[in-house]
Amino acid sequence: MYFIQHIESITHQNSFQKENIWDELKPLTAENQLISPDYKNYIPVAALRRLSTILRMGITASKACQEKVPNEFDSISVGTALGCLTDTEKFLVTINTVSGDVLSPTAFIQSTHNTISGQISLDLKNHAYNMTHTQNALSFEVALKDGLLCIDEGKKSVLVGAADEAIPFLERLRGSLILTHLPFTSGATFAVLSGEKGNSIAFVQACEVYFSTKSQETLVTLINQFLDANNCSSGDLDLILEARSDFRFLAKNHISFTDYTGFYQSASAFALHMANDWLIGNADDKRILIVNNLESNKLGLTLINRNEVEA
Amino acid sequence: MRIYVTGYGVISSIGENVEETLLALKSEKTGIKQGRKPYTERFKVGEISWTNQELIERFGLTQNASRTALLGMIAAKEAFGEHELSSEVRTGLISGTSVGGMDVSEIAYKDYLKDESDDLNVYKNHSSGTTSEQIAQELGIRGYVNTISTACSSAANSIMLGARMLLSGQLDRVVVGGTDGLSQFTIAGFRSLMIFDEEWCRPFDETRKGINLGEGAAFLVLETEETMRKTGKKPLAVLSGWANASDAYHQTASSPEGYGATLAMKSALKVARLNPADIDYINAHGTATPNNDLSESHGIKTVFGSSVPPFSSTKSYTGHTLAASGGIEAVFAILALNKGILLPNLNFGQAIEETGLIPVKNYSEGHEIKHILSNSFGFGGNNSSIILSAV
Repeated sequence: MYFIQHIESITHQNSFQKENIWDELKPLTAENQLISPDYKNYIPVAALRRLSTILRMGITASKACQEKVPNEFDSISVGTALGCLTDTEKFLVTINTVSGDVLSPTAFIQSTHNTISGQISLDLKNHAYNMTHTQNALSFEVALKDGLLCIDEGKKSVLVGAADEAIPFLERLRGSLILTHLPFTSGATFAVLSGEKGNSIAFVQACEVYFSTKSQETLVTLINQFLDANNCSSGDLDLILEARSDFRFLAKNHISFTDYTGFYQSASAFALHMANDWLIGNADDKRILIVNNLESNKLGLTLINRNEVEA
Repeated sequence: MRIYVTGYGVISSIGENVEETLLALKSEKTGIKQGRKPYTERFKVGEISWTNQELIERFGLTQNASRTALLGMIAAKEAFGEHELSSEVRTGLISGTSVGGMDVSEIAYKDYLKDESDDLNVYKNHSSGTTSEQIAQELGIRGYVNTISTACSSAANSIMLGARMLLSGQLDRVVVGGTDGLSQFTIAGFRSLMIFDEEWCRPFDETRKGINLGEGAAFLVLETEETMRKTGKKPLAVLSGWANASDAYHQTASSPEGYGATLAMKSALKVARLNPADIDYINAHGTATPNNDLSESHGIKTVFGSSVPPFSSTKSYTGHTLAASGGIEAVFAILALNKGILLPNLNFGQAIEETGLIPVKNYSEGHEIKHILSNSFGFGGNNSSIILSAV
């Protein structure tokens, strides 16, 4: 069992440092902007100026997590689908417009995907295992699976998270390469997992990823097999959090998490936050399945359970 | 449980398969030359001479994709070779890349900046995750696919994650490695950092000035013993140790004392249950930047004390192939184990004054090599070491 010790999100919702994010969650409209916390509380002003949104979100959410748990992280595993887009685009513009031999390296340095996890380790002075995963819409799940594996291997305080940022350029790809009616958004969610119960109320029971998935039927079979392997069935689910709305029929409650996140490919990380806090607010509910079917050829499944009440 | 390597494949500027690569290593022939593309012509680079279209035709690839994906397909196909897919052997693929499909998207983006005439379809190859999905598709792998992006340690970390996935029983067999195609983005990036050497790079040399970039890909097939009973494959080597640690010192520079490097090497030895004295050769990260080589030298001295085993940086052959380097150097290590050879650090003249370490200067055969440590250190302080051992 992988207990969720703490979880923080910076999104277009009022989701940072909340007791229960559901108190203020609302379906998003295109007008909703990213709600940025006061980053100065986490990042020195001089450094802040150089950092793009995705780095600010990642560092701040991670530091807010570290403050809430007693131990230093002994593993940091981060997922990002498209990485540091702002700095990538900035450097692309630079190399096409600036002539001469002297280019500013900052955008290049901060364009690589592992800038997020690297900057977290740097800011926390953390020398532990540090990994960056990128697998399109399953970027969070593959990072989460690494974190779970770290706990199996004996790590005690594991930071897992995901971050992605929107840039205006993405609008050009809407309808051709990116098929969505949702607004393009940014978000970061980081969680501390541990094999010990601690102060958690819920745990991740399992996470699985599937590729080359095709028909809706295959997906239903995969979901049932996954639940079966984890000793439950769809009848035991109190809530399904899904990227689309294909599996309404599987559980008594159903929410499309993308209505709340908008479109970024690691948004299923925020669904983990939604699941954890749903269990805070709904005392009778026990089991939640996150179905990440954001991209049609792959599937991520994450099963969240309320902790057993000790007799 | 031991993790076995049962296949390997490589393409770089010194050869387009394992056999050619060995010949180049033997003849001490570098692949680094004056660049031939508009954006490389001012530099010495380890370029692969074929265009993307030529790569597709020459290697019979079924997909048109970025250079990173194409090079990856070529090396992965060689590694997977005669391996067969079967429902009994759950097979995954983990690839490392730093820039993904940048080599093609940067061309489209240039058109966008000019007059918005970019072909949007090109961007579908951009994401790093997609390059791995394309490589998996080329092999017919439909299971777990993942991409590690930790800059220059990406392939080493892919190898490490693959081993852990096998040990935990989540996979039976996994194709692991890394790939990076040269792009204007990368060339300009390293130029902005001002760490290019305009001459041939000289790792571990007192007069070293910086890197030569390169491109390439390499993959290994990893299996457990139980899987080998099903597949009937013969092991080429044992992957006996691995570790990753964070230097947490600076965005790009390594700590002067090589703290993260030391941690990675020591932890990998621990996983392998080996002592420093058991290591017969170190394939160093050795980028030839003043900073890396000094820091790595200090790290090596901390771990190995006064009896540093033979070591060299083979980046003097291939250039720094970034996310692919840990994979390419793992292939070199397997060749060294099986052929009993020590690989030279080309262009070495004079030891770094502060450390006095002298790398292997010439190719030689007839050594008994049981354990090799291979270092890969990335920007962001991402330090990884793996250990390959004779079967």
